[in-house]
Amino acid sequence: MTLASESAAQSGALAGLRVLDLTDYRAHLCGRLLADFGADVIKVEPPGGDYGRRIGPFVDDRPHRDRSLFFWFYNSNKRSLTLDLESARGREILLDLARGADVIIENFGPGRADAMGLGWAQLQEVNPALVMLSISPFGADGPYRDYVADDAVLTAVGGMLYVNGYPDRPPVRPLGLQAYHVASYYGAIAVVCALFARDRDGIGQWIDLSMQAATTGALEHVVGLFFQNGQPERRHGTLHWARFFRAGKCRDGYVLNCTIGDWTSLIEWVKGDGAAQDLTGPEWHEYDYRAKHAEHLFDVLDAWVADKRRDEVVERAQLLRQPFAAVRFPGELFEDEQLRARGYFVEVEHPELGRSFRYPGAPALMHGTPWRINRRPPLLGEHTDEILRGELGMNAEELAVLVGEGVI
Amino acid sequence: MAMALEGIRVVDFTWVVAGPVATRMLADNGAEVIKVERKSPGFMGPRKIGLQPDLNRNKLSVAINMAEPRGVELARRLVKISDLVIDNFSARVMRGWGMDYENLRKIKPDIICMSMSGLGHTGPRRDYVSYGPTLQALTGFVRLMTDPNGAPAGYGYSFSDLAGGLAGGLVALAALWHRRRTGQGQFIDLSQMEALTGFIGPGLLDIAVNGREQSPVDWRSQERPMAPYGVYRCAPEGDDDDRWIVISVATQAEWDRFVGAIGRPSWTTDAKFRTLYLRIRNREELDRNVEAWTRNLPSEEAMTILQRAGVPAGAVRNGADLCTRDPQLRFRDFWGRVPRPDGPDTYVSGIPYRLSATPGSIRSNCPEVGEHNDYVLGELLGLSAAEREELFESKVVWR
Repeated sequence: MTLASESAAQSGALAGLRVLDLTDYRAHLCGRLLADFGADVIKVEPPGGDYGRRIGPFVDDRPHRDRSLFFWFYNSNKRSLTLDLESARGREILLDLARGADVIIENFGPGRADAMGLGWAQLQEVNPALVMLSISPFGADGPYRDYVADDAVLTAVGGMLYVNGYPDRPPVRPLGLQAYHVASYYGAIAVVCALFARDRDGIGQWIDLSMQAATTGALEHVVGLFFQNGQPERRHGTLHWARFFRAGKCRDGYVLNCTIGDWTSLIEWVKGDGAAQDLTGPEWHEYDYRAKHAEHLFDVLDAWVADKRRDEVVERAQLLRQPFAAVRFPGELFEDEQLRARGYFVEVEHPELGRSFRYPGAPALMHGTPWRINRRPPLLGEHTDEILRGELGMNAEELAVLVGEGVI
Repeated sequence: MAMALEGIRVVDFTWVVAGPVATRMLADNGAEVIKVERKSPGFMGPRKIGLQPDLNRNKLSVAINMAEPRGVELARRLVKISDLVIDNFSARVMRGWGMDYENLRKIKPDIICMSMSGLGHTGPRRDYVSYGPTLQALTGFVRLMTDPNGAPAGYGYSFSDLAGGLAGGLVALAALWHRRRTGQGQFIDLSQMEALTGFIGPGLLDIAVNGREQSPVDWRSQERPMAPYGVYRCAPEGDDDDRWIVISVATQAEWDRFVGAIGRPSWTTDAKFRTLYLRIRNREELDRNVEAWTRNLPSEEAMTILQRAGVPAGAVRNGADLCTRDPQLRFRDFWGRVPRPDGPDTYVSGIPYRLSATPGSIRSNCPEVGEHNDYVLGELLGLSAAEREELFESKVVWR
């Protein structure tokens, strides 16, 4: 790394922290979130490569361990170290690295890290100030401790799946691996909290995160309304549970109609088009009445927008301060003038391919500690040498032995 | 030992959902979060039961009339003894009060200000009016989560608010960490649309790199290839015929265990289901066979049979399943119990992670508006009872 890029890397809010990321594709967003704020995140991969490298889509649809876009997104800003943690020598090297690390993240499954000699008890011995985050499907204890789950199963047992889709049809799964994502966010939050405690108390600690509970902890209304009403919330298609939003079909796509804004200006507009039907009475000025009769109300609005163009409806609605929106495909985000003006997408160079690509950018513009993609996602083992030489002071001979033994 | 964030004070102007989720992350870990509220904060339901306790437990409330110059002065005095100010207004509101970062840093040089607006404080669409569903429409969640007939079916709730809230909580913590190391505050302009866009990252890279628009989500895997893979209908329970299970079988070993767990029916030996590739190719027939098995079992029982055999499977939990029956959430004490002044205690979503040395906690219910006026104005700002009474008489403070 050059001095200039070193100082650029140091500008993030979490610069100076070192994280050992032992997770696989179910939890690799967590380390990425920390890396994006400038933490030095070392992704420890088995010599054959992380399984996430096998998950598509791939660049130009050509499967290869260094061309997985799935891997790219979740591992940008990290360094890659190959290390065989099944071998005694590999585990020894990991413990050496743990001495100089601030955080270690793993999702081997409950009890597995202990069995490998890499549990909290062992790590604490080499580094009492270490923060260890264990992410598992259901947490480290309880009747489901040893149950197994992928993202879809987690959305089911966490309560996210049931409330998506139409009432008389099967539940519809979320776009994106959202159970994994919210668990990673909660994990990153927990890690920074533990670092604050370490700063004050001088000790590290172990964090036991349940992905099921994280999913339940990312429901908006399901829990609160159950405890209020004693009835489970059902699913209603695109009708939001608060009953002020529903998608309607227009001439060239769909528009998200909304009835939470100023009713007078909305109904005057609809009336002007001769489409207000029976919505003209004073009772419709009441929020509660509109919510109660949402199905009928949105049926009328659907008929009203049916022969309009999507963007024409949304433009006018937003001028009236009505929170309508175009129902877009994600591809339209690349043409979005707002994202463009704010520089949301960032160009990341991939010298190994002689190309650069547009990546999604920061969750927030931090004016004091800019968010950056300083490193494209690492090639498999790209930083093994640099880390073992630089951090552990190994020489060429030792490295050669490790390669020969298949440890790295 | 004290909770991790004890000693950090947050002035919280946020309302609705995303902002309160962000400050909940801080309050749960011991930060002192003080909501600065209007007398009637609007359509969010009762304060001591339902959604509000879930969002605003562990927080304090002071009711300050920000339309009064003396109200603004009180808020500014509060900022002077605080670490972080969060709002989810459009840019002009805080500026209008003189409560924007440029003004507040003059009275508290290391203050951190975070604004969590819908589309950000800059750019041509900064005044766009938006809620969670608006942002879900703009980013593809509504369009790509579809009914089998192709109609949009996307998010039945404001996942966007949770995504934005989680991002806001993490960004705020990162900024606080930076300040602890360097003494520097900063302004953070969080666009909830941008935060949400990060939740569909791999698909966006597919568009950017391969130029391919994303197709609607169905039960093709978004991770490793799987079959059987889907949501299967289970036996009705009472008059509830909306019971389902998700089954995700990826490896050959999992398939073998699945076959054993369901009692080796003859169809499982059919050559067309022999390998993962064949199972994916013949998935419609496979799914019908799988559902013939699940349809006769309560979802919980089907999950237990499969999980005991080591097959990833999960009952599709509704609110009642989660809150009253899920043995795992209950074993791990997930539900936080909070008192109500005029009824039995109620419960809120707890903290999904446990810190071994400094765990967070659920300590109090959502405050009534102005419930902590005396603490905030008296103990924190040092106003006497007479002074507080005068502020109330002058409608600078509500109670």
